[in-house]
Amino acid sequence: MIADNMTQAFQWTFNENDQEFSLHGSLRPQRADELNGCFSAMEQSVAKVSGKFYVNVRRLVRMNNVAFHAFAGKILDLVRSRSDLSVHVTTSSVVGWATRKFAVLETMSDKITVSEYDNEFYPGQSFVEDSEFIHVLRTQTKLTWRHEKELLRKHGLKPGMQVADICCGIGDFAVLLQKEFEPDRLVALDHSRSSLDYARRVAADFGIRGIDYVFGDAADMLLEDNQFDFVTCRHSLQVFDQPELILKELYRICKPGGRVYVTNEKNSHCLGEPRSESIQWTYNEVAKLWHHFDMDIEIGPKSRRLLIDGGFQNVTIGSFMVTNTDGDPQDFADVIASWKNLFAGKMAQERGDSPEFIERFAKGFDDHIFAALHPKGYAGWPIWVASGRKPL
Amino acid sequence: MQAPSEGISLNSGLPQMIHLDLDIKDFCTDWTHCDLMSGYIARMVSHNRLDSLLFSNLYSSALNELLEAVYRTHGSSGKLQCAVQRDGNVDRIELTFPADEETYKVYEAAIAKVNGDNAETLYLEALFADAEPDASLGLLELGVDYGARLAIGRNEDGRMSLVAELVLEDDAE
Repeated sequence: MIADNMTQAFQWTFNENDQEFSLHGSLRPQRADELNGCFSAMEQSVAKVSGKFYVNVRRLVRMNNVAFHAFAGKILDLVRSRSDLSVHVTTSSVVGWATRKFAVLETMSDKITVSEYDNEFYPGQSFVEDSEFIHVLRTQTKLTWRHEKELLRKHGLKPGMQVADICCGIGDFAVLLQKEFEPDRLVALDHSRSSLDYARRVAADFGIRGIDYVFGDAADMLLEDNQFDFVTCRHSLQVFDQPELILKELYRICKPGGRVYVTNEKNSHCLGEPRSESIQWTYNEVAKLWHHFDMDIEIGPKSRRLLIDGGFQNVTIGSFMVTNTDGDPQDFADVIASWKNLFAGKMAQERGDSPEFIERFAKGFDDHIFAALHPKGYAGWPIWVASGRKPL
Repeated sequence: MQAPSEGISLNSGLPQMIHLDLDIKDFCTDWTHCDLMSGYIARMVSHNRLDSLLFSNLYSSALNELLEAVYRTHGSSGKLQCAVQRDGNVDRIELTFPADEETYKVYEAAIAKVNGDNAETLYLEALFADAEPDASLGLLELGVDYGARLAIGRNEDGRMSLVAELVLEDDAE
């Protein structure tokens, strides 16, 4: 439902399956009675609920004290009038005021709990935030940039544009964008505070100014609609269990006529000679391992379908192969070594794999490194690049 | 002149970042002016902060509460001025608006609550009171939740000033 007489659109939804009532948008009413429609819907919703009633305010961007006072009163009435009911409020760390403000509800009743939705957002976030992984991320960007620098032009990126790099990670791609394309505005957003801290330090060390690094949830961004000429999101749909939600947000912040650019992998297509069979087996297992953690490292060629289903026009897709012949083969080998450490280390252990499996799994990475460093060898890592235009 | 909260000067020498000036009657023709003004100013002053989106959202929330207080409680005629300034990571917001004695007393009582020893208790009481919130709730929230320093002062032209100093992020670029 939408209450369009409010300052900005304010919406609420109820998911009966999850017993969750969600509030979205901006809520700054002059009088509490402006919320009557919403409260009626909440009462109807809670009538169908037993046990725990979830109130989700993760996408509630603004709320004044008139609204909070009314909502707090309503939630207290609920738990006081229904002995069988408790209420859990879920806030977002992205909206600075929300957790602090709603936390006071816990002081009023032990049947009300409040928690901040955060870490579980990206299934792989704890893996990629590992400090050891920063080196590999930087090397990966170095290897892919030599290809993407030209591809970005072909996909429509030009100097002077308004650009957003969503899921910017440690921000090195944004630095390269800033240097090469000199955008009028460059916002780089990520959901990892430690990565953003690193990104800001690197930008400061390199004397790079003008990149606006912001903390945010790619599936629920505070960025306003229709802002950017070019939106990039690299290697990220694959680490998210609902990539269509991110695409929806990329679409929203892109200007009509602007383009959204995504890159993704299909890890089972990594290859190498010699020792191709061992390499192939391991990368097929990588895909299964990621699937276990609700991530799809095979999403690369599916990018076209995702963009078309997301409402984009003029969708173009292609692929490039990062190889050991792109420069120093040791760079390629370093990337694979880091994959081995992560995939055949922390992730395989967390899945509970046997020592025998891990040994064979790790050998495929070693063989890939062997192929990369072999004087007559060839090793490749394919990446799919797709972009689509938001209709005018 | 009302003594301001310790350490807050009602006439800061800081350079102006933005100064909005409008008739209080015009301001009070539409409640959404509070949201529009707070959103506009927040966006303008956030571009060079460590995290512009987070800062803007917090700044907008704080300024909106101040503007809503003035919308509800003000004198009958005159100018509303909104001046925002910055010194390092301290943001200063000064609202100057028409205020008769009765209006001034409302703010005097609210500021006394904010600067008192039991501000947090009073904040929670106001937040969960049966009656609809008055001007003091937003100011109490700023003092307790945002750690803002608040002060008021009387102007010779029949207006009053409401000043808030806030630190919304630890380190700025």
